[in-house]
Order: sequence, then C-alpha cells, then structure tokens
Amino acid sequence: MEDYPEELRTPPVTLVSIVGFPELHSTISTYLHSEQPPINTLALPDFSKISVMARNPKDKTLDSSSAQPGGILKKDWLLKHRTRSPAVIAALILLNGYRVVARGRNAKTVVVVVQSTENDEVSEDRIIALRKRAEVDSKYLLNFVSDASQLKESLNRLGSTFAELANTYYREEGKRIKARIEKKNTNSLELIIRYCFKVAVYAEFRRDWVEALKFYEEAYHTLREMIGVSIRLPPIQRLIEIKTVAEQLCFKVSTLLLHGGKVIEAMTWFRKHIVCYKKLVGAPDVVFLHWEWVSRQFLVFAELLETSSVTVPNTSSQLSVMLEKGLTEWEFNPAHYYQLAAHYLREKRLCLEVVLSVSEASPSSAADGIESGSVSVIPSVFIGQFSQLFEQEDAFRTQPLTDAEYILYAIAEGKRFQDSFEIIALFKKSFEMYNNLKAQRMASYCGHLMAIEYFTIGDFSNAKQLFDGVANLYRKEGWVALLWEVLGYLRECSRRLSSVKDFVEYSLQMAALPISSSSGSQPSDYKRKYGPSGPASLSQRQSIHNEVFELLRGEYTLSSNEGSSDLKVEADRPVHLEIDPISPLRVVLLASVAFHEQVVKPGASSSLTLSLLSQLPQPVEINHLEIQFNQPESNFIITSPQRSLLDVRSGDQQDLRVETAPFLTLHTNKWLRLTYDMKSDQSGKLECLSVIAKLGPYFTIICRAESPASMDALPLWKFEDHVETLPTKDPGLAFSGQKIIQIEEQDPQIDLVLGVTGPALVGESFLVPVTVTSKGHNVCFGELKINLVDARGGGLVSPRESEPFSNDSHHVQLLNVLGPDGEYESQSGPDNIRSIQHSFGLVSVPLLNFGESWSCKLEIKWQKPKPVMLYVSLGYLPSSNEAKEQKVHVHKSLQIEGKTALAISHHFMFPFRRDPLLLRIVKPIPGSDPTTSLAFKETSILVVNARNCTEVPLRLMSISVEVDGDDTGRSCRVQQGGGSLPSQPLLVPGEEFKQVFSIIPEVYLQSVGVGTVCLRWRRESGLEEQTSSSIIAAGAVTRHKLPDVNVEMVPLVVSLECPPYTILGEPFTCYVKIQNKTKLLQEIKYSLADSQSFVLSGSHNDTIFVMPKSEHILGFKLVPLASGSQQLPRVTVTSVRYSAGFQPSLAAATVFIFPSKPHFEMEDKVTENKASLLMNEQIS
Amino acid sequence: MIVCIAVVGHQNNPLYLQSFTEADDALKLHHIVHCSLDVIDERVNNPKKTGPTLNETFLGLLYPTENYKVYGYLTNTKVKFILVTTDLDVRDADVRNFFRRFHSAYVDAVSNPFHVPGKKITSRTFAERVSTIVKSFGLSTAV
Repeated sequence: MEDYPEELRTPPVTLVSIVGFPELHSTISTYLHSEQPPINTLALPDFSKISVMARNPKDKTLDSSSAQPGGILKKDWLLKHRTRSPAVIAALILLNGYRVVARGRNAKTVVVVVQSTENDEVSEDRIIALRKRAEVDSKYLLNFVSDASQLKESLNRLGSTFAELANTYYREEGKRIKARIEKKNTNSLELIIRYCFKVAVYAEFRRDWVEALKFYEEAYHTLREMIGVSIRLPPIQRLIEIKTVAEQLCFKVSTLLLHGGKVIEAMTWFRKHIVCYKKLVGAPDVVFLHWEWVSRQFLVFAELLETSSVTVPNTSSQLSVMLEKGLTEWEFNPAHYYQLAAHYLREKRLCLEVVLSVSEASPSSAADGIESGSVSVIPSVFIGQFSQLFEQEDAFRTQPLTDAEYILYAIAEGKRFQDSFEIIALFKKSFEMYNNLKAQRMASYCGHLMAIEYFTIGDFSNAKQLFDGVANLYRKEGWVALLWEVLGYLRECSRRLSSVKDFVEYSLQMAALPISSSSGSQPSDYKRKYGPSGPASLSQRQSIHNEVFELLRGEYTLSSNEGSSDLKVEADRPVHLEIDPISPLRVVLLASVAFHEQVVKPGASSSLTLSLLSQLPQPVEINHLEIQFNQPESNFIITSPQRSLLDVRSGDQQDLRVETAPFLTLHTNKWLRLTYDMKSDQSGKLECLSVIAKLGPYFTIICRAESPASMDALPLWKFEDHVETLPTKDPGLAFSGQKIIQIEEQDPQIDLVLGVTGPALVGESFLVPVTVTSKGHNVCFGELKINLVDARGGGLVSPRESEPFSNDSHHVQLLNVLGPDGEYESQSGPDNIRSIQHSFGLVSVPLLNFGESWSCKLEIKWQKPKPVMLYVSLGYLPSSNEAKEQKVHVHKSLQIEGKTALAISHHFMFPFRRDPLLLRIVKPIPGSDPTTSLAFKETSILVVNARNCTEVPLRLMSISVEVDGDDTGRSCRVQQGGGSLPSQPLLVPGEEFKQVFSIIPEVYLQSVGVGTVCLRWRRESGLEEQTSSSIIAAGAVTRHKLPDVNVEMVPLVVSLECPPYTILGEPFTCYVKIQNKTKLLQEIKYSLADSQSFVLSGSHNDTIFVMPKSEHILGFKLVPLASGSQQLPRVTVTSVRYSAGFQPSLAAATVFIFPSKPHFEMEDKVTENKASLLMNEQIS
Repeated sequence: MIVCIAVVGHQNNPLYLQSFTEADDALKLHHIVHCSLDVIDERVNNPKKTGPTLNETFLGLLYPTENYKVYGYLTNTKVKFILVTTDLDVRDADVRNFFRRFHSAYVDAVSNPFHVPGKKITSRTFAERVSTIVKSFGLSTAV
C-alpha cells in the first residue's frame, strides 16, 4: 500500500489558493486545515506567481476528446487537483491590484479586502468598482480584519465561504464531466473510464462517498470490457496498463467499502476482482509480473483490512449473508491475505527464476542496451505505461516501447529485487497473526513456508529453528507425511550446518517413521513438491537408514555446504545420542526394563528382563549393551559371543560383570528380550537408570530405561494399525513390571519385648517394661522410638474439654522412661539421645553385645479411660562400622486399655431418727434444680461409696473430703465419721467400700460447695511391691467432686428417741421431741396409731403449741408384746403453719425386742461397735 | 470433483486420508486438511459464532483456499471428516448427503472387531466404498 502515491491512498482534500498578503497566510492556512472537513491551502505571496495555476497549453491538445487517447488515466491528474488546481482562489488585497488571471479555469474567485482595523472605512464606490473589475458577486467580496479582536470572526467567515464555494466548484466540475459521459459522444472506453474516475474523485472532494463508489465501480466495469478489445498498445503493455488501473480502482472501491463498514461487500468485491484478473496471466515471458501483481493485490487488501480493524460479523443476519456468499471467518483476517500475498510472491520468484535462467542462456543485444543505461525506461504520463527516454542534443525525447523491449526492461527490473526477504516478511506477519489467534496449524503452515524460503536463500539456521517448531506440531498430531517433508528439510539443514549429530538424529527419525507405502516413481520436480528428501516411501526410509549407518561406521563422508569441511564420524569425533521418554528418537530405540519381583531380600537374586525395540526399517546390530543402575556396583555389560571383550572393557569398567547374549540384533518392530539375574546386598531401592547401546565403533545411544507398567505408546506408531507385541513374554509383567526393585533390609536378630500385664488404670503411673535382647546381632547406635497413638483414631488431645484436675489437655501422656533399675536414666555422654514429649519419646540404647539385654520402663499416665496404641521401634546397626552397614529396624506395637480404677458415688442423709423440716422438700419450688438440701447448723450424713471396677485388687490408702481451693473460709464442717480407716483396706475386684462423713453446714446460702472426695490408692501388686518404685508407693489419687448443696433454715426438728432394743414385757419410754427453731408459736397436731405388738400409754391425738425457740417433748410408755424386730406405733406429727406432716420412716420406727435379757459377754467397746455396725446396716 | 477426503481422530491425528487427484499434490492436500483443523477447533470451541450450525454434525464451509473448498463434519464421537473439492459451486445439500453416506461407511469400518479404535483405518473395503461415494458425488450434482 505504501507503494501507492500519497494522493491515491488518502481521501482528497479541498484545495483553495490565497494570493497576496503573505503575512496572513500561515494564520489562514492553519485555520483552514483545522476546519472540519479540512481545507488545504495553496499560498502564493503575490500575483506574479499565479501562473503556477495556469493551464499548461500542451494539456489542451492531449485532452481533446477527438484524438485517440494515449492511455486511460493520467498519472499526475489527481496530484494536480490535490496540490495545484484550487477550487477557490482568494485574492487578499488592500484595495487595488487584483487582476483576473484564472480565467481559463472554472475556479471560483473571492476577493478579500484586508483591513488592519474595523474602523478602516472602505467607501461604497470603491467596493462596487472592485466587484466589477474582479467580476465577483458581492457575496464573495469579503472583509478581512486582521485585528486580533475580529480575526476569529473573519477566519470563520472565510472558512465557510471557501467551503461553500469549493463544494460548488467540485459539483460543477463533476457535472460537467458527467455530462460528457451521458452524451456518449465518445466511444473510446479509455475516456469513459477517465471521466468516471474524475467524477468519482470530484465526488470524493465533496465527500459524497456513494457517488464516488458508484463511479469508481463504473470505471472498473468499463475497464473490464477493455480487456482483449483495446488495440492501442502492444498486447503485453496493454494488459499491464489495464491491470495497473484496475488495481487503483479496486483499491479505491475496497477502501470506500471498508471505511463505510460494508465488510462483506468489500470481501465479495475483492474476491471477484481476484477471480476475474487472476486468469489474465499474460505472456509467458512476463508471468512473474502477473504474480507480482496478484501478490500486491492481496498485500494491499491485507493492509487495508488491518488498518480498518474489521471484525468478523457476528449477528445472525450478517452470518447468513456470509454463508450465502460462501465466506468463512478466516477471510476476515488479514493473516489470510498476507499468506496469499506471500504465496503469490513466491510464485513470482519461481517464475522469474525460470525466465532468468532462460535469458542467461541466450543473452541478447537489446538486453545489453537496456541494462547498460544508454537508453532509460521511465514511467510515462499515463498510469501503468512506460516509455523510453532518449537523450538527443541536450533534449529529452520519449518514445513508446515495443513489447520485446518491455520484457527486457521488466526482467532487468525483476533481477534487482530480492523477493525472498519480502516473502519471509509476509509469511512472518501471517505466522504471528495466526499465532495470536491460537490457530497453531495455520501458523505452523506459514512457519513451514517461511522456513522453506529461508532454506532457499541459504539461511539454514533460521530455517532449522522454524522447521523444528513445525515438526513438533506434526509429530504431536501424527501427520507423518508432513513430518517426513519437514524432517527432510531439517536433515538437509543440519548437513549444510555441518552438524553431524543433528544429521544423524533427523536421519534416524526419518528412517523410523511409520511409512510403509512404496510409491516408486519420483517425478522430476519432486524437490519442489516434496522437499529435499523426496516422497515418503519405505525404500526411501531404507536408503536413509543405510546412509546414516554407513556414516556412523565411518565408511561414508558427508559433504557439507561449502564442501570444505566434510562431515565424517571418526574416533575423535564420536556420536552420542540420548533418548529419554519424551524424545522423538524413542522410535529408534526403546529400552524397557522390568524386574520380575517387586521386593527381594538382600543377597537374593531376582530376574531382570531387558527389552529393546526399534522401528528402523533394517536390522541393527548392537556391539554391546551396558545397563546402568543407581547402585553402580550392579551395572553390567551384555555382549554377544562373537565380539571380543577387549573392545568392551575400557578404563574404569574393568570390574563390571559381563553377560553374553546369543545375538544382539534388533529387527524392525520386534522386541529383543534379554533376561538376567540381578543380586544386590544393599538394602533400599535398586533402579535401572539407562541402557547404553554401542552400535558401532563411534556411535553410542544412551537410552533412559522405562518401566513396562508406565510406558507410553510409541509416538506416531501408536496410530498405526500394526502388530503390537508386549515387551516381556509374561503379559502380567508387561503390564505391571517396574524398573525399580525394593531390596529389603536385613532380618533383625533382636528381641524387643513389651511386657504389659492387663489394662492401665486412670490416674496411676503405668509402667510398661521394654526389653531389648540381642539374639545374634550386636546393637550399635541403637535408638528406641516410642509413639503413643489413640487406638480409636483421633488425637490424644482435646483442647476443648476443660478438666479441673488435668493440668494439661493430654488424655494419655508419656511421662518418662525409666532405666532398667527403675531409676531415671542418667543423662551422660553426648551419644545419649533422649527426648520425651507427650506422645513421643526417643531414647538411645547402649551398646549390646551378643546375648546381652537391656530394658527400660515407660511411664505412661492416663487421664481418661482411653485405649492407646503403643508403638516401639528399635533402629540399630548390626556392627559399629557406621559407614558400611545399614540400619535394621524392629517394630513392636501394643494396644493398652485405660480403665477407671474406682467408681465413686455418694449420697446425703439425715441423722438417724432426727428429721429437720426442710420446706423445699415439702414444697419444691417449681423450676428450681433438684439439688440436695441440707439443714443449716444441723448435722447431715454423707456416705461415699468406692467400688473397685478393675480386675486387680486395689489397696485404699486414704479417703478424705477436701475443701475446694477457691472456697473462702469454711462453709461447712466435715468430719470423718466412723473413725479412721482400718489400716488401708484392700478392695478385691468388684468390692465396694463405704465411708461416712458428717456435715454441718455453717453458712446459710443457696448453694454451698461441699468439697471433693479424694481417694488415694495403689495397685496391690503382691510380690513386685519391693521392686516398684517410690512413684507407685505414693499411690494414685482419684477425685470425685461432690455437688453443691442447698442450705436451708429449719423451722422445726422432730426427733424420735427410743432405745435401740428392749426386752419382751419390759416397759420403755419413747419420746418424740419437737424443737421449734423459729420465733413463732407453732401449732402442732399429732396422732398415734395403735400397734399389736405394743401396749402403750399416752394421748393418741392432740394439738399442742410449741413456744418459740423451745422444745416440746411427747412421751409414750410402751410395753412390747412380741419379740423380734417390731414396728413402733406410728406417730404422725403435723405442723399447721407449714401444713407439713411427718411420719418417721419404717427403719426409724423399728426396734428389736429380745425375748429375754441378752447376756453379752463382751466389753462395752465391742457392744458399741456392734451397735454402730447395726446402725450402718440400717443406714444402707 | 472431490480431491481429498480425510478422517481425523481425537488427537487431531489423521486416521484416513485419501486424495483422488492425478497430480502429485498430495502433500499440499495434507497441508490443507491439517490447517482446516484450526477452523474446526475454532467452530467447536466458540459455537456462538457459528450460529446456524450449532448442534449440527455438518460444520459447513471451513477454509477459504482459492482453488479448493473445504467442508467439515464432526461425528458424535468427535471424529472429524474433512472434504476438499475443486468444485467452486457446491450445494450444501450435496455435501451433507455425501457426509451422511461417508459417515455410515466409517461406522461400518470401525465396527469391524479387528479394528482398534484410534488407529488408522486400513480396511480395503472401506477404501473401495469411499471411492464409490466420491465418484457418485459428482454424479448426484449432475442429476
């Protein structure tokens, strides 16, 4: 597009001329230029220069319609109208001095009278005189005031007048030319085209795009009719001219359509243009000119598209139009046109090469003349025409060319340009655009063509780089035929770049491509169509294979680019190839290694199968194979018996194991399977890393070993319908075989014993004895790891639970590791590692020789009943030689239950036969919590039960009620009843122990803390008692928090007094004492029921009044009539004030009656004991 | 005249590619088929752009080359068929009809128990059937 003249590329701009007053010119022209639409100014300093605009008299003769026109469009016509032929001429005068000069032109004239200030009076007469002389309408006689205050206004006036006049001028001019067309007074097509063009340009000047488009199209269609009709010029040049004009018209039309937003129309137009003109190839000698022209069409259209930022239509109506016209979305992309431009330029280059080779073969004298420069060819006055320029006697004379001369000129011109760089630039543009669109295949096609162009001009490194990228895509998608071509180029590039390794790699890749068809015939121009390697065929693969192996054996020398440095594989220039699982060379050699077992004992042997596969078309013989492992001492070499070992072993490989195989030849698509025994003493992982194949004296392939289980299918070949076999004979191994084998560690010869007896009890320090006994190995650098894990899952920690008696939140804790003698391990020496955390411990084990043993005890404390897994593992070295040996590990685990030792319960009760009236019990307040109520300053009884829930006997050491720490002062007095413990009672499993406490609340409060029952106990371990340490002797403590109680004021206390036993027939007295603790008079009703067992005296029913703070005693005399345990007559006491009745409980109203006076031969103390025992029984 | 017909697999690998030209421009047809895969990708990934061809196996005209027209077809198993023809005035209905017949031939070929899915189609019967269909493509337009 840049090749086009400026006036063609940009829309035309109105031109006006101002004459005179040069000092105002810059102001006016700047203003006019910034107008919308802008106006260009042709400024002339004074009237003497006005002849610039004057019409050249010679034009007249040329333009006459009668004569046959010399061409279609004149080259400088448009330029003239844009730069030299103004629409309006404005004369800036003071008053006088304007002469009519532009009479011959139709340009409008304006006379501008310049005044320095507004006040400069111009007389009416003078104005009229001026108008007459200048022959201008009064409308176009303007005043221009250069005063700053009026300048803006004057400029505005000037601008609008100029625009109006210019519009009129261009319309009139257009009409004038249009009239000529309509009159049809000429049958010269050239003139019609010219007129149409002019009308269109004038329309463009007026910004009448519709008319402009119409006439450009008209011109284009008329031009189309000229093809083959016109005989004005020699045929070649005639076609050139037509095409050149068509190009300009097409450019104008496309531009107008695209800028008008008619994208689809533009596309269709352009497509028609190409279809129509592409066929007009022209004379065979100048075909290249045609292709160059076609290429330029595409390039210009691409540039137009790119600059007008076209979007692909996306509305459905546009889409349907698009489909109708057979357009696809890629046609809206400039990349498509750049690619085609490059393609045709390439076509041009090829044609030109042919023409040049012919012309070089037969040089003609005329060509010499043209080239020598004595005769020069210049563009003629008409677009698309050329003429000869002669220099004759200081004057230049032009003369038309003959076609033969023109051809010579065109060839000479063609030689001057290097099209390849242009082609590459176009392809590159297209390549980048497609890449941005993520159209990688189109991009790689462009890359491919670009690379071929680089290849043609001999820039092999650029070509190689591009080809490599393209080859990757084709390889990935399995386009073998395309890949073959690219690899052929790559192979040639690396040969030219003298890179033997690359040459070998590409050759091997080509030889191993899945191509089986054999198209024997090779067309003569195969290089152009197939690249340097010819068409893909099996025979071609075979010949490439043979060539590369000859090269690798050193039998063949590759000639490089210049021929100066030949490529040869020699001893000092060996070739090493590396093949990894993603390398494209995998098809050349694939090494699969499978161990037959997954795990093996150290020193035991396992089979290893090595399978090799190659897709090369010819058999390949391997000299020897070296198998490498991660443990270098396991490496070994496989050789065939024909080969001597001398060339195998070299240098540091002296001590390697050597195996032999019957033959080491790889056939196409046939696994070479080799099985050997492997043995390793080193525990851990044994992994086969790589297989090194030596294929000739100077050629090695290092092939990464692959496991059959995780082996990918061969690239390219996986799409082929060919026989696939398994790498190993055993199909199971082929699917699961691994190149890694796990070598176990040595069997430990150590006993690790965890001696645990029964479950652990919550609260105690539970000891787990651990014994390490050597049974064959010495234990050096032994380490004992201890780990506690919750057996049910979940952690041993529960941070949310806040237990009052667990300091930390660990439910089970490893407290310590005790030495064998039960003492804390002394921390001596740096080797003595010791680290104990809540659930983890690490202890070092001292050196143990054969037969020795060592033990320790783990002290673990349970805070909650929870089962726990205890893991103990011992790691050690069997000998003190740290470097050589590997650690041996012994693991032991054990589940230990944690159990609650003692279940503690309690209950409160009132003293025997003494009952305070507790109003809350009588009348529970609804909504209050059912807490126990105790009478204020009255003795209550607390009974604590402790039951042994374990399966071992426990010894109780002490029991007490401890006041909670946070209580200020004593809220109640607690006394241990029933004397002290009888020398640490022993509780057998399931046995229950009871302890009685008396409580006297001393504070009158709603809720009073009673305290915590603290039970100290220990396991009764019998014989082991001596060995157990002080920790165990201290015993464990189980706590039981007593609930808070209600303390109440007691209004009345009823107590029944009666002997514990009597003798049949002997009278005794029974008292009911009613204590009034209030300051009120209490009315009490009582009644007494009769009983068969007793004769009684006293009142049966009565109402009494008890004085405040006093006591009333009711006495009954009773004579028992029956022996045994007998119910006393039932007494019912009712308080009227509190509407509360009371009857003593059955137990309280029972006495034992002896038939006769018993004779107890015991001391008083014993009797007392008995009595108390009896009492206890009654309580329970 | 149909110059080339191709079946392209899931990894955009050619499963079957047959050209029907005397001239030795097989490689060029390979390139055309390969490049048209970009258009198929584009159409399948941005279905809103294609509008009327949404949810249809027939993808329509794919690729603008000057001498050829390239049509595409996507089976329900995402195997692509690509047709290259030199006829510049082709009716959509003919192409649809062709693809329908070609599809059934393809289904028969891959239903062969000895055919491994995802591998190239080497069946000779298939090739014969395809060439029959290709020949009748020219005829059906004439009728």
